[in-house]
Amino acid sequence: MGMLFSYFRSLIGAREMRILILGLDGAGKTTILYRLQVGEVVTTIPTIGFNVEQVTYKNLKFQVWDLGGQTSIRPYWRCYYSNTDAIIYVVDSADKERMGISKDELFHMLREEELADAVLVVLANKQDIPGCMTLKETHQALGLETLKNRTFQIFKTSATKGEGLDMAMEWLSNTLKTRK
Amino acid sequence: MYSLLHGFYKYLVQKDEYCVLILGLDNAGKTTYLEAAKMKLTKNYSAINPIKITTTVGLNIGRIEINGIRLNFWDLGGQTELQSLWDKYYAESHAVIYIVDSSDRDRIDESKETFDKVIASENLVGVPLLVLANKQDIPECMGVREVKPIFNKNAHLIGKRDCMVMPVSALTGEGVDEGIRWLVDCIKRNNFLRPPRNHEES
Repeated sequence: MGMLFSYFRSLIGAREMRILILGLDGAGKTTILYRLQVGEVVTTIPTIGFNVEQVTYKNLKFQVWDLGGQTSIRPYWRCYYSNTDAIIYVVDSADKERMGISKDELFHMLREEELADAVLVVLANKQDIPGCMTLKETHQALGLETLKNRTFQIFKTSATKGEGLDMAMEWLSNTLKTRK
Repeated sequence: MYSLLHGFYKYLVQKDEYCVLILGLDNAGKTTYLEAAKMKLTKNYSAINPIKITTTVGLNIGRIEINGIRLNFWDLGGQTELQSLWDKYYAESHAVIYIVDSSDRDRIDESKETFDKVIASENLVGVPLLVLANKQDIPECMGVREVKPIFNKNAHLIGKRDCMVMPVSALTGEGVDEGIRWLVDCIKRNNFLRPPRNHEES
């Protein structure tokens, strides 16, 4: 009986997970958000402000926030940090020049107390572009090996082709399930 | 006065924290092992279904409190191209768990060579090693009797540090806590060489 009750409660009481999609401008954050939500590539314009959508993946509900990535509006990311369960950090793997900036922004963000328990997913996006950085190169360029107190995973994705996102969401939902 | 009491309280409550690195070839079962360990040693932990565990490219963290200390597990990706990232963690590790897929006879030599590279590192001198012959639930797997001689071949690399080969099945959870308990004793014994990580600083 108790089992049954807790089962029903888990159905009703399942809290919506709060996820932020962050990254530099032009990394593909909005494309990823709508790829996740409607499964299609939508035409996007640079986000000034944010887009927020509810995404359901395998019975888990996510409230996904896609925040604008331009230099001038990056300082406002922190206004959205509280109660965040996971961060999806999107990197343009073809943009080698700005990898350093991307790294700095990432570490700047991860220093925030409010994000101490958030799981990190890094998406090495735009893998469809020839000559882009590999997974390992991106891993090293972002200095991910210095992250020692946080569960994270990096995935190759191509948001326009829809590749890799499923794997990332699968991992994210499995990982978040263990920490409800 | 408050700070004195507060300090005393902290002293009583604070647990020494040690870091344990989980290494091994890809598909050896490192993440499954970590999940099994978390499930066995933390109350009310709902582990990830082993079927759903995918290839790790990144880091999985597990925290376990046992025998008055806190263990912080680092589970890293095992693919060949990711092995070069392992050494970034060596200097801060208090123990290494090396997982072997006992059912994969074709790659046992590769696993052994990788193990040799790991233990040859200067940054791991004196650090206790636990080699786990995983996947003992598979009927045709190599038993610990077969795995042990392979991994004990390089006694000069192992040197004086504690090293143990144990059978385990991460899938069923058999042998998981025995190994960790052994490791905890070694870590405690070894703490003059590798003192615990102070949580305040991290």
